[in-house]
Amino acid sequence: MEEFLSLTLGGVVSGSVYAAFALALVLIWRSTRIVNFAQGSMAAATTFIAVAVIDSGQSYWVGLVVALLAGLVLGAVIERVVIRPVEGGPELNAVIVTLGLFIAIQGAVALIFGVDQRAFVPPFSNIGYEVREGFTLLSLSPNTIWTVGAVLVTMVLLIALFRFTRLGLAMRASAFGQEVARLLGVRVGRMLTLGWALAALVGALAGMLIAGDVSFISPNFMDQLIVFGFVAAVLGGLDSPIGAVVGGLLLGLALSYVRGYLDDSLLGMAALVILVVVLLVRPGGLFSTTPARRA
Amino acid sequence: MSVLAAATIATTMAACGGDDDSGGGGGGGGGTAEDNEATDPGMTEDSVLIGAHYPLTGPAAPGYSEIPTGVQAYFDFVNANGGVYDRQIEWEYLDDGYNPTNTGQVVNQLVLEDEIFAMMGGLGTPTHNAALDLLNSEGVPDLFVASGSSLWDNPEENPYTFGWQTDYESEGKIIGQYIAENLPDAKVGLFLQDDDFGEDGERGVRQYLDDEQIVEVQTYTSGNTDLGAQITALQQSGADFVIGFNTPIYTALSQLTALRLNYTPEWFVSNVGSDPQLVGSLLERFSSGAVTGTSLLEGVYTTDYLPTVDEVDNPWVQLFQRVWDESGQEGELTNFRIYGMSQAYTMVQALQAAGRNPTRDDLVAALEEAGGDFQGPALAPFRYSSDRHAGISGMSVSRIGANGSAEELTPVLVTDVGDAEIEEYDGEETTPPESGIPDEEAIG
Repeated sequence: MEEFLSLTLGGVVSGSVYAAFALALVLIWRSTRIVNFAQGSMAAATTFIAVAVIDSGQSYWVGLVVALLAGLVLGAVIERVVIRPVEGGPELNAVIVTLGLFIAIQGAVALIFGVDQRAFVPPFSNIGYEVREGFTLLSLSPNTIWTVGAVLVTMVLLIALFRFTRLGLAMRASAFGQEVARLLGVRVGRMLTLGWALAALVGALAGMLIAGDVSFISPNFMDQLIVFGFVAAVLGGLDSPIGAVVGGLLLGLALSYVRGYLDDSLLGMAALVILVVVLLVRPGGLFSTTPARRA
Repeated sequence: MSVLAAATIATTMAACGGDDDSGGGGGGGGGTAEDNEATDPGMTEDSVLIGAHYPLTGPAAPGYSEIPTGVQAYFDFVNANGGVYDRQIEWEYLDDGYNPTNTGQVVNQLVLEDEIFAMMGGLGTPTHNAALDLLNSEGVPDLFVASGSSLWDNPEENPYTFGWQTDYESEGKIIGQYIAENLPDAKVGLFLQDDDFGEDGERGVRQYLDDEQIVEVQTYTSGNTDLGAQITALQQSGADFVIGFNTPIYTALSQLTALRLNYTPEWFVSNVGSDPQLVGSLLERFSSGAVTGTSLLEGVYTTDYLPTVDEVDNPWVQLFQRVWDESGQEGELTNFRIYGMSQAYTMVQALQAAGRNPTRDDLVAALEEAGGDFQGPALAPFRYSSDRHAGISGMSVSRIGANGSAEELTPVLVTDVGDAEIEEYDGEETTPPESGIPDEEAIG
């Protein structure tokens, strides 16, 4: 029972990070219909920028703000400079471009920051709470509460943005039908850029959270996360922010049980088996909306 | 995905051997530079090309990526003194990121494109295993694999492959016996890398500790950094003494995870994962909390088969310090660099024993015939012969003290795989030759 509790909580924590990452993928998919494979190395880049800031003597929080801003700028620049020329063309082109970006950014990070493993100290203690004598819940620590909380707040802010603001409405309109939105006076190009920037910001947050969790980071520390984040996004239907979060949590739980009750060498395989099963049973994901969405 | 990535950030570093063969002498054996002939690929009149694969990036890179710089330093030192039989040793190593798929590719490149004469010190059990068939079917000497797996000691199937360091099974036996004799009440948990590394170690340990004393076995897959489930299971089993057969970063990760769980067993980390400098520097950043650098490692048991960098009075360490300083490379002398230099030292011995114009097969024959008598920095002799390709035969148990120094708990113990007894080594301690360069006779 205690093991089950411990694994469940662990699943919620890692699941919330997968969710943040899936959220970033969903934001881009919604606005530009592109799966951004470069998300992982973009997040690694912003995390390394934060590490540089922290190394220069600033606090974690300054580093976090810098990482988020760097993500915002990086996302916007990449959309304008690299993605814009392939937008609207064959979908495969854009996917290959993001794959190329993935490798290029990772290489750039390695060149600038080196390939050594670096220690990353989380902002709060990650020593688990002792629930009774001799039994400490590893997944319940100040840092895991911060991790889950940060993802929840981000999700709520995003939902509020899309539901209740004119900007959110304009972004949804641009994603829904570019022509129509343009006719109604929405500056579609800007909305797409903003979509990428926001996504990169969420990705940057996920990078900082995962770094605090894994303790040691190198330029490719996000590689595994991109697989899990992608599976989580597809579970949720790629189109729905709430679906991404639920998908992330479900995947986190499933993988935590696999790790605890089976073996951690099965993690990658388990994620892909889940992906295949979901695609077979519900090709549109667990939270798919009607195909008509695709205007 | 990671394959693609690692391939692009792979750093290719070729040796800058130089053509300076003015030194002449070196190596012993008859003839002069005029008698030099090119033989097999990689062996020209004035150079010999040696290659290897290492994790220069990724989770296995910390520490291990320093080994080839140590090798480079020692080869530079030998080259500056005339090389071996008037040949400069060229050293080329490629990054495989500790990913067996990459290892296959880079070894292909080394053997088929760059045409190395021999491989030396290819690192890692799962990684090198992926290159084993290619090297043996191409007839490339595959010397001193940097892994203690028993896979390398199989001359019938892999006649070109030789181990070097003490094998994990012998190490497990020595660890098991030490615990059985000195800590009979310890409730032992095993923390193992889930491949031959962990399996060989476990097999050795189990020869001396019974199932009752070993209360829990947990494994990890290299690359998965979340050890919460494993360390929780060890804690819940009541294990108060954990033996780890793991790489250095997993020592740091397991220590951090245990700390987060308020779990404070005693640790015995096998030689591979116990370098106090490296693990200390990885943990340094966490020192603002309860963890403080090497002090987290204070009291950890480990094993040694080479002199370590803290033994400043050891003549081998003094030699290697001099060689490292002269090489002008960045960074300090570390145990990993001592490891690389020690392997390079054995390599020079093998090249000397092989004679002036050896083929690849001659090099293998020389090691089989003379390798068992090579004297070097290792604490115990090699087991090389025509039917054994196993490396160093023993080690001593030590305990890490404050500031990373090691306190020897046992004399050098020698043993072998299977049910060979563990005995105290009765040979003399070796000292390096005056010149710092070995002088082996050519065989035959």
